[in-house]
Amino acid sequence: MNIIKKIPKYFMILIISFISIIPFYVLLLLALGDPSKKSFLPQWYFKNFVEAWNKSNIGVSIINSFIITTGAIIIIVLFASSAGYTIARFNNKFNLIIFWTLLACMMIPGIINTIPLYVLIRSINGINTHWAMILILATNALPFSVFLYTSFIKSIPKDIEEAAIIDGCTRFTAFWRVIFPLLKPVTAAVVIINGVGIWNNYAQAIFFLQIKSMRTIPLSISMFFQRYGADWNLMAATSIIGIAPILVMFLFFQKFFIEGISVGSIKG
Amino acid sequence: MKFLKTFFNKINSNLHYLMVLPAIILFSIFFICPLLSVIGLSLTDYNGLTAPNFIGFKNFVDFFSDLRARKDIINTVFFAIGSAPLLNIFGFIYALVLDKNFKAKSIVRAIVYLPAIISPLIMGYIWYFILQPKRGILFIIAKTLNLGIANTNWLGDRYIALLVLVFVNVWQYVGITMIIYLAGLQLIPVEVMEAAKIDGASYFRTLRSIIIPLITPAIKINVITNIIGSLSVFEIIVALTDGGPGYNTESLSIYILRMVHGAFAGYSTAVAVILFFIILPPVVIFLKWIRSKEVEM
Repeated sequence: MNIIKKIPKYFMILIISFISIIPFYVLLLLALGDPSKKSFLPQWYFKNFVEAWNKSNIGVSIINSFIITTGAIIIIVLFASSAGYTIARFNNKFNLIIFWTLLACMMIPGIINTIPLYVLIRSINGINTHWAMILILATNALPFSVFLYTSFIKSIPKDIEEAAIIDGCTRFTAFWRVIFPLLKPVTAAVVIINGVGIWNNYAQAIFFLQIKSMRTIPLSISMFFQRYGADWNLMAATSIIGIAPILVMFLFFQKFFIEGISVGSIKG
Repeated sequence: MKFLKTFFNKINSNLHYLMVLPAIILFSIFFICPLLSVIGLSLTDYNGLTAPNFIGFKNFVDFFSDLRARKDIINTVFFAIGSAPLLNIFGFIYALVLDKNFKAKSIVRAIVYLPAIISPLIMGYIWYFILQPKRGILFIIAKTLNLGIANTNWLGDRYIALLVLVFVNVWQYVGITMIIYLAGLQLIPVEVMEAAKIDGASYFRTLRSIIIPLITPAIKINVITNIIGSLSVFEIIVALTDGGPGYNTESLSIYILRMVHGAFAGYSTAVAVILFFIILPPVVIFLKWIRSKEVEM
């Protein structure tokens, strides 16, 4: 009886997983497929990866994407956590205004200010540089990250850092030594959400990175598609090479992920 | 010397007030300043090269006779209005199913989240491979099974293509919406649910009277982020239709990208400003409405 009752539940879970996995199956099928044969089963044909690597220049793109993603993430985590701390702990007018301004800016789609931003970046010689891309993407990620950190820090009792202050820390050092280590779940959420977004960023990259040696993974893949559009096996192999690093990062951080999201975005 | 020392001591012990500064500086330079100059630029004939001339509201007047830009705004809004409710409905259903206890729970959750970590560009190409006319997987399957949908032109007809774009978007990002609903569901106290069970409430009654009111914070954050995210839609369209056929599925972000290198930089910022004023009222109304529904736990 118990088993029969469980069948609909497991059936739904199965359907949900199946729906989510189809495109990965298609991708793997293509990447491992022998271009000369057509089949709905993988053929374990690994030569596609070698050829894709040689033709697509994706090695350089992985390095570019890696530099930009890491740089932006470091800035986001440092700036957003410290801003979140000040906003959460000191309830003055200035901090409130900053918090509400950031929240209001979250409602504005990034595309709206692209053109003035382009003019600005061009005038400070930031086109085709890593640092400009890092600063732009970190800025776009700030509002949501500050929001997550602020709510999370509010849920931490004040006694913890007050004990550290009595022991001789200043508030500044108390934050970095005592509070910051407690922020692991929300930091994991910030790193996953923004890391994925920045790794996959295309809308800004296509504006600000225009030369071949600066291409990030999405740019490389779109260029590759335009050149070898019909060659789906190579496309898929290139895509999988581009996906692999972010997949590893996701699996590494996902343990803390739900906890960080829940406390940061809803409880606060 | 002593003065300097006390000065530095003072700074050192008040450093925590300055901790918000780096974020403010970065945000002002790369967000607030460009945003303010959007309003200024939209009143000029700026062409990306020579100095802009003030032309008043001409750009806004021109917009009303510009078929392409109007179509782009309609497409963008259609896409957002289509995506946001579907994302929330499916995200919520997924969360209800995956909130139950079963083996391999965390693996299934990770699987459902997986599409969201892949570049929407790649996802668009995969769906293009599935849907492309005459050669796509769907065509081959439908043909062998002799289904009527074999000859549907998924990407060639404006409205079908827009629906396909909405579908791909929902399919890809339902995992994110689900995670936030899951987080919301976990915050509902077990006692409340048990009390409802003891009182003999049916599942749908519990859903309507307990679960939904208690997850309004999650609904709020999901609807807002979904609308805003959908309004910037870019990659999926680039990969699937590239705005075609003609400009029929072009979104505003693609339009702006194509205009920035042309002579219409000033004009396209005006279009962006119009988009902003189109989305503002529904977002504000939604926020007000959901605030009235919110329940304190």
